[in-house]
Amino acid sequence: MSPTFLTIYVLIFPAIVAVVLFFLLNAFWKEWRKARKAGKSII
Amino acid sequence: MQLNTLGTPLILFLILFFFGGTFLLSLTIGRKRENADNYMTAGNEVGFGISAASMTATWIWAASLYASATSGYTYGISGPIHYGLWGALMILFIYPFGRRIRSIAPNAHTLAEILHARHGRSSQLILAGSNLLGSLLSLTSNFIAGGALISMLSPVSFSAGILMIGTGVLLYTLWSGVRASILTDFIQVCAMLGAVVIIVPAVFFAAGGPEIFSAGAVNLTASQQSFFSSDAFFNQGAPYIAAVLAYAIGNQTIAQRLFAVREDKIRQTFVTATIGYGATVIGVGILGVLALYLGVEPMDGDTNNLIPQLASMYLGPILLCVFFVMVIGSLASTADSDLAAMSSIMMTDIYGRNIAMNGNASPRLLLLVGRITMIAATVAALFFASSKFNILELLVLVGAIWGALVFPVIASFYWDKVTNRAFSISVIAALAAFFPVRFGWIALEGATAFVTDFLAVVGVGVIAGLMIFGFLGRTGGIAAGLIAALAVLPFGIGFLHQYPVLTASLLAYAVSMILCVALSWTGRERFDFARIGAETGNFDNTTSTT
Repeated sequence: MSPTFLTIYVLIFPAIVAVVLFFLLNAFWKEWRKARKAGKSII
Repeated sequence: MQLNTLGTPLILFLILFFFGGTFLLSLTIGRKRENADNYMTAGNEVGFGISAASMTATWIWAASLYASATSGYTYGISGPIHYGLWGALMILFIYPFGRRIRSIAPNAHTLAEILHARHGRSSQLILAGSNLLGSLLSLTSNFIAGGALISMLSPVSFSAGILMIGTGVLLYTLWSGVRASILTDFIQVCAMLGAVVIIVPAVFFAAGGPEIFSAGAVNLTASQQSFFSSDAFFNQGAPYIAAVLAYAIGNQTIAQRLFAVREDKIRQTFVTATIGYGATVIGVGILGVLALYLGVEPMDGDTNNLIPQLASMYLGPILLCVFFVMVIGSLASTADSDLAAMSSIMMTDIYGRNIAMNGNASPRLLLLVGRITMIAATVAALFFASSKFNILELLVLVGAIWGALVFPVIASFYWDKVTNRAFSISVIAALAAFFPVRFGWIALEGATAFVTDFLAVVGVGVIAGLMIFGFLGRTGGIAAGLIAALAVLPFGIGFLHQYPVLTASLLAYAVSMILCVALSWTGRERFDFARIGAETGNFDNTTSTT
């Protein structure tokens, strides 16, 4: 197994986590704004 | 190499910052007059962002981060995959069952409550009891992980550490129940995922970067260097596949989020949680692989020390604080979910559906039962944690016990012929087959080994069949089960009994399926699933007041 491949193996997962985190934050932001406009609690 | 630690004042500050912040956040949703149903299901209207975050946070717990790293350290580069990938896929495989459960019981609070409507008291209490036991062990395990981390990174003792964690979690969960748990999960998952994005690359480059793989390759066996290690699959992956399907069915924390999320957001929530869980747990597990390449020996011979050890070896004080918050976030998010789950079970399955008969449950008393349950569970978990039982082993055992429940529970949600008798007998018989094999009370040799191998092959078919059944229906499920069993049959006979932990789990699946089908097949009873929706309604019709 080449060091380059293994390096990608190590770093790909934090990168995927970053993408998931972006989606979660984006969805939360939209839901928070919608709830605020409606004068409701987000949960 | 010298280990960096955090002093007592800094640890106390971080704990105060974390739990104080979480508590203040929970105050924003506090109610003077809480609604008992919302305390358990958050009103069934939670959006995608918070639900997906909460599902991810609940599924990731401190032990999963530690165990994934242990798997990487033990089995090499495929180890984290055999821990994280299967756990992630199980969230996905549970999704179709989740949709079915919500469609037949839109206002239910617990899975056991649905079984009460479907079968009656004995089936309900079997599931509720196993859920309570599992959540208590999970809670204890998280307290132990927190206490061990605090005592490793600072001079604060283990006992003081578990007390701080237990008090902190109870503080913000007690008043608002699952709503507090779900909302704070969002913040905790952001802290956790953010930390993974930073910590894994930071440790990798601080330890030497790509050079590690050239210099440290001599530390790995051929099997550890392979992505297709059979050793990793049979010792880690396969038992985990068997156990995790059971976890998702037997674990009320997942069911509780299933009942909380908006029905049209269930698929998005499960898919996001699958990816988030998988990437996080595999990513952290790779730290164990790095430890293997670096030739790091786990402190005191305990592989659970690997992650904190690597962090304290390669991270400076600031990143060590980030790492600390990551682990505390992972354990607090699961611990608060366990508290909320146990309170729901006691409120619904013990008081609401059994003690207060005929729908006469008092909402105020329900809330009191829920809050007392949380306090009692915290005290019990602190007691068990201070005794330092090997909780992870117990938890794996409970996961395997849940294997006996998976088929009868799922069949009960789809097949109108399954009876209370078939459910109870099949579960008890499966447990009776499971224990002697799991604990080596009978020798697996000769004819016994043949029988257990054959049943284990059937168990493989049951698991494969259930996974496909959720997506493709009965014909697809039966076909997948038969194909999987026939594919394993040639090498499974004479082989599988060499792995008694795996065999015992597979036996539980096989015996429960065979008996449940056999006892239900000839029955004339037909259940009307519409009854479930009518019998699992709300307890509390008052509106919360702020």
